[in-house]
Amino acid sequence: CGDDLTDTNVNPNEALHPQPDYLLTNAIKASVDTYWGVDNNMNSTLLFVQHLAKIQYTDPDRYRYTNTSFESTWKGFYSVGLADLAEITTLAEESGNDNYKGVALILRSWLFASLTDLYGAVPYRYAIQITDQLAPAYDGQDVVYGGILDDLKTAVELLDPEGDAIAGDILYNGNIANWIKFGNALRLRYALRIADQAEDKAREVITDLQGEPIISSNDELARLVYASSPNQNPIALNFETRNDYRVSRTMVETLRTLSDPRLPVFASPTEATTPEVYIGVPNGLTNDAASDLGLTKTSKPGSYFLRSDAPGVVLSYSEVLFNLAEAVEREFMTGDAEALYEQAITASLQQFGVTNTTVIDDYLDQPAVQYNAANYRESIGTQKWIALFGQGPEAFSEWRRLDYPQLTPAVNGVLAGKIPVRFIYPGSEQSLNGKSYRDAVNVQGTDALTTRLWFDKQ
Amino acid sequence: QDRTVEGTVVGSDGTPLPGANVIVKGTTRGVQTDADGKFVLQVAASDVLLFSYIGYKSIEVPVGSQSTITATLEDDEGKLEEIVVTALGISKEKKSLGYTVQEVKSNQLSEARENNLVNALSGKVAGVRVTNSQGNLGSSRIVIRGETSIAGNNQPLFVVDGLPVDNSQLTKSDASRDFPNAISDINTEDIESISVLKGPNAAALYGSRAANGVIIINTKKGRAGKRGLGIAVTSGVTFERLLVLPDYQNVYGQGAGGEFSYVDGKGGGVNDGVDESWGPKMDGRLIPQFYSNGEAVPFLPHPDNVKDFFVTGHTINNGVAISGAKEGFDYRFSYNNSRQKGVVPNTDQTKNSFSVNASYTLHPKVTLSTSANFIRTESDNLPGTFGKRSTSTMLQFTWFGRQVDINRLKDYKDADGNTFNWNNSYYSNPYWVAYENTVGQRRDRFFGNVNLNYKIVEGLTANFRTGNDLYNDRRKIRIAYGTNGTPFGSYQEIGYAVNENNTQFTLNYKKDITPDFNVDVLGGANYQYRFQEENNQFAPRLAVKGVYTLNNSRDPLQSTNFYSRQKIYSLFASGQVGFRNYAFLNLTARNDWSSTLPSNNNSYFYPSVNASVVLSEALGFASNTVSFVKVRAGWSKVGKDADPYQLINTYPFSVPFGSSPRLTVSDKYLNADLKPETTTSTEAGVEASFLDDRINVDASYYFTRSKDQILNVDVSPSTGYTSKLINAGEIENRGVELQLTGVPVITPAGFRWEVSVNWAKNVSKVVELDKEGFLQSYRLGSDGVEVRAGVGEPYGVLFGSGFLRNAQGQIVVSADGTPAIDPSNKVLGRFTPNWIGGINNAVSYKGVSLSFLVDVRMGGQIYSGTRSTGLQTGVLAETLNGRDAEHGGLPYYFAGDDTGTTPVALADHNASAPNGEIVYHDGILFNGVTADGSPNTTIAPAPLYYKTLAVNGEYNTFDATFVKLREVKLGYTIPSSLTQRVGLQSATVSLVGRNLWIIHKDAPHIDPETALSTSNAQGLEDLQLPTTRSYGFNITLNF
Repeated sequence: CGDDLTDTNVNPNEALHPQPDYLLTNAIKASVDTYWGVDNNMNSTLLFVQHLAKIQYTDPDRYRYTNTSFESTWKGFYSVGLADLAEITTLAEESGNDNYKGVALILRSWLFASLTDLYGAVPYRYAIQITDQLAPAYDGQDVVYGGILDDLKTAVELLDPEGDAIAGDILYNGNIANWIKFGNALRLRYALRIADQAEDKAREVITDLQGEPIISSNDELARLVYASSPNQNPIALNFETRNDYRVSRTMVETLRTLSDPRLPVFASPTEATTPEVYIGVPNGLTNDAASDLGLTKTSKPGSYFLRSDAPGVVLSYSEVLFNLAEAVEREFMTGDAEALYEQAITASLQQFGVTNTTVIDDYLDQPAVQYNAANYRESIGTQKWIALFGQGPEAFSEWRRLDYPQLTPAVNGVLAGKIPVRFIYPGSEQSLNGKSYRDAVNVQGTDALTTRLWFDKQ
Repeated sequence: QDRTVEGTVVGSDGTPLPGANVIVKGTTRGVQTDADGKFVLQVAASDVLLFSYIGYKSIEVPVGSQSTITATLEDDEGKLEEIVVTALGISKEKKSLGYTVQEVKSNQLSEARENNLVNALSGKVAGVRVTNSQGNLGSSRIVIRGETSIAGNNQPLFVVDGLPVDNSQLTKSDASRDFPNAISDINTEDIESISVLKGPNAAALYGSRAANGVIIINTKKGRAGKRGLGIAVTSGVTFERLLVLPDYQNVYGQGAGGEFSYVDGKGGGVNDGVDESWGPKMDGRLIPQFYSNGEAVPFLPHPDNVKDFFVTGHTINNGVAISGAKEGFDYRFSYNNSRQKGVVPNTDQTKNSFSVNASYTLHPKVTLSTSANFIRTESDNLPGTFGKRSTSTMLQFTWFGRQVDINRLKDYKDADGNTFNWNNSYYSNPYWVAYENTVGQRRDRFFGNVNLNYKIVEGLTANFRTGNDLYNDRRKIRIAYGTNGTPFGSYQEIGYAVNENNTQFTLNYKKDITPDFNVDVLGGANYQYRFQEENNQFAPRLAVKGVYTLNNSRDPLQSTNFYSRQKIYSLFASGQVGFRNYAFLNLTARNDWSSTLPSNNNSYFYPSVNASVVLSEALGFASNTVSFVKVRAGWSKVGKDADPYQLINTYPFSVPFGSSPRLTVSDKYLNADLKPETTTSTEAGVEASFLDDRINVDASYYFTRSKDQILNVDVSPSTGYTSKLINAGEIENRGVELQLTGVPVITPAGFRWEVSVNWAKNVSKVVELDKEGFLQSYRLGSDGVEVRAGVGEPYGVLFGSGFLRNAQGQIVVSADGTPAIDPSNKVLGRFTPNWIGGINNAVSYKGVSLSFLVDVRMGGQIYSGTRSTGLQTGVLAETLNGRDAEHGGLPYYFAGDDTGTTPVALADHNASAPNGEIVYHDGILFNGVTADGSPNTTIAPAPLYYKTLAVNGEYNTFDATFVKLREVKLGYTIPSSLTQRVGLQSATVSLVGRNLWIIHKDAPHIDPETALSTSNAQGLEDLQLPTTRSYGFNITLNF
């Protein structure tokens, strides 16, 4: 009866053999969901950079977190996104499809970068190998970013628009040329990320990028265009049943001061009629104080962000232009930094539907907007901060690196007048991977929200 | 031994007793009486016949020269049975067993009128721990002798008429309902007796699932009445009321910072989106409220606003049973209908059960018997439980403004069908939830078996038996259009189909080898096949309101399926050797081949051995003072397989993204090398009777060790998986059980007082989780605090946040004056009790009987989510302390009215602040120390203080001890002289009360006997439905 018993135990509910295209769809969907979702975005990074503020359950806005607050990012990126990508890589090596391999390597690099951006040292070289590594050691940021930059170069080289087709690609619909541009845009992003600490490496990567294809229009954004339920945008999904977030007063007042045409895009008019129309909420109020402001007398994010089919952006054209402007300013390459800066702002305005050239020119002409080469960090930092509205993790990284705009900490913050500069590790790592965790903390510094990361040089 | 004796066995009223046991004393040789109570047996003149029948006192009759014997058996209310039903439905003399068996008789079950059979066992059997989850329409958990599996099922196997039946609790948390466990389908009226086999010692013959003990249910068989036909009619009504509700404060109403004014209930007014009661004093001041259309109306307390939502539940039960017997044929048919209305409005459950038992003698040597049961359990709506806003009951009430007049919410819809409520940020009107967001269930179940018995030659019997337990369980989950948080409503259908078939063949040989020795040998084979299907369809947003079909969906349906099947082939054998009817040795052995284990590990063998010696007979010291002494000991081993599909990694599907299907790598890394779990158990015990059987004692000691446990352990997600299946883990249980029955008073006039006591203590210890020592704890579940199995700890430790204490043990306060939380979580208790016990007193005189059962659970802890939430929301009575001058609050102000600063104390309540700042009177000075050890001087405002305590697990964990008056029964049997005039054989009326009084408990606000579900994560209370008390009236008529 041996065969009979073995056959009885064949699982009829799940696939026995995976397909790379179906895995790819899941890897992209699940990863962008995590990236753009509540724990990683709305309830943390978007609060730190003061894009949003909380009107109910304000603890996170006061930087009160527990050691489970940042667990879903860790779990989502590692055990879903990276695990699926590892499987795709295995399948691609079996079938010899280098385009799957390249795409998987680009996404893998983006996920590892997202992890190290937020937590600092993370399992990298020893991660995603359960058969050999049940307790993977952590790697420092220098190792992680270095590995990622090398991998991205390899990935771009693997990709070939004339090569084997890929399917299930809900980011670029199988367009390998766009994946190459995305891969190069990520190389530019992470080269600059470490530029304050590893200038030579940054220069080397950016020099190598000269003449290579890179995202060069708003049609080439790396973004997942969401759909209707059950595939709605995570922010839209949250607002379907919750009403906890408002646009931060910092963002609303900055946009108002600059007469920024993106204000009506980023913020909704208050539900009850108010003279200001758009009213932001200060970050870090107590529950009572936030409640006093009134749910109907404060601005939710704009409908652009609340639509179920709103895009989840991973990398925008305007970001590429801001990065190029900075690369020029840092003399990693030649070009016109000011022109690139203005193109970046223009690209952002266009991305959010502001296309009238007069409006754009008027905006750019304002002294407060004009490029200041003497303090490019302030010019680029401030405008990038605006352009990245809604894309919390990237806005958070760039705000830490560029140190602009200078934000005032939460009103009733609990970090003694500081703003968080990283995520704390999930508490479960202490019990599940204790030694590796302790080794990492010993090198990096206390596992606190206020511990500065390597790339974020003072 | 070559002579034939014929005879009849009758009850004291002369009724023939079919199926009574007639055994030649000192042997295992014997027969059962036929349908007319008659028997024929080969005997020798020196033989003594032992007559026994369940519910009657056994008697012994020497054969001598008689050729016809009429044995009259007297009813027995109290004495432990001589003959018990053991594994595979075999009746054995109790004294021949080397392990504990305890019986519960039919009248102890049916009169209790418990809607869930499991509850009726509480307090009646030593070592059996029953936990009723929530309310009176839900599930119950039963565990015998503690938990032996770290992560798996710990509930016993249920066996009806010799074959296993299912007791799963198929549950889906998104329905927010406590669905009843499957065994609650069984109609207690059909039960003849229940035997509880407590350890794996008793159960080796039932296979893997018996490692946690077995509950053997025997249903009533056909029995002739005086006119050849017996008709029994039962009827009863039971009323139910809440047993415990939280103690609420009735001084302050909804709001925050003492302010409240209603505009839209979602933040449009002053704190009107706040669902906490930190608002103004309810002193009749005028404030616009939810029903007043902006008009300021008196703000007054409504102390009973939660209680008044609940209604008196009732159950009406009617049943009829017809039984009869003729030459070679007996039958019993019964029908029972029970209609219950719950204590939550608009909740109900209806149960219709049909049962047929029949036996037919095809040939003098061949008997065919069958038992078939059909049960439909239906509910239009089960009460909302747990913490989901659209469906819960107690969640909303633990946030309910203390000023809310529940009567003004009763008309929950306006003319346009829209709801309105006291709060629109978070909740829908509670009546809307009860009447619109319903969860219906219908379970159609068939179980039964066919049994063919062939007496090949004297002493050798072959038996073939096949049985099926099949049910379909369908649930319909409606969320109405316009429900808060689910504006378009939703609709979900969940269907389960469960089937288990067991087919078994046995060969039994009994022989007296010499006058002193006899043997009883049995060998057999069993085939078990089980499948389970689940089909789940969800329409996340309805297109049209009020229509609940899957087609009425705005979005693509979300569907999931799950199928599983498993097979086990088994061979088993047992043997008993008896010596002079006072010494017995029993051996069993079984080998299983399970489909759920890898082919190289799928065969596993497990034996048992036990022995008993009746010392009083062996040593010949039996007297009136010490009438009976028996010692027993046993050892056994049980293997246990895995769940299906735990070997090879597969790839689950996700909802497609548009037209792109999705597959993902599973979160769980499976294990292709699994081996079976093993439990070994050693048991020893003594049984003794004194003073002419007036006092009976039964004591047991046991030790159980379970190893190679199949655990799905968490791993760091950085491995690519969140858990990994391992084959490790070891847990020990040891314990003592005592049963004591005494008859302090018995008079010739018929007065009898009987006391029975049972007591049990179990101590568990998790020895290890994995071989490498990498794992120190395993999470069983969590809700507020974690329930875990930690190495070196007892099973089921509660682990969570607690006070920060310094080296002197003093509580440290934070800078804001509130008690600080220790950054490291700690052990707060464990859910398992120190001991459990029950005392039943039964008094009878002529036709009147009165009994009352006190049920005790001593020790153990429970975390109370009601207390935690209630501190946060300020609705509980204790949150009044310190809220104002009258309740001991201290005066203070904030410098410059900056509430971000530390409060400054004032000398007295009449003092004013230096710069005219606002003076507050709700200061609390916590008796603790600062980090440097000096006494705390910082005042904390009351809301801050209580909200800090709300998240402190230690502060909200309580001793779970309770002493309950579990059951009171008053019965009266109308004298037969009266009943016979109206053509009745007998008539009984009884009054029964259940859970009438919690005599003692330590946990405030809740009944500590509660659980979130029947899973291993016990000791957690989180806004569960309150438990109920019930009282009812029954009448039983026999024609």
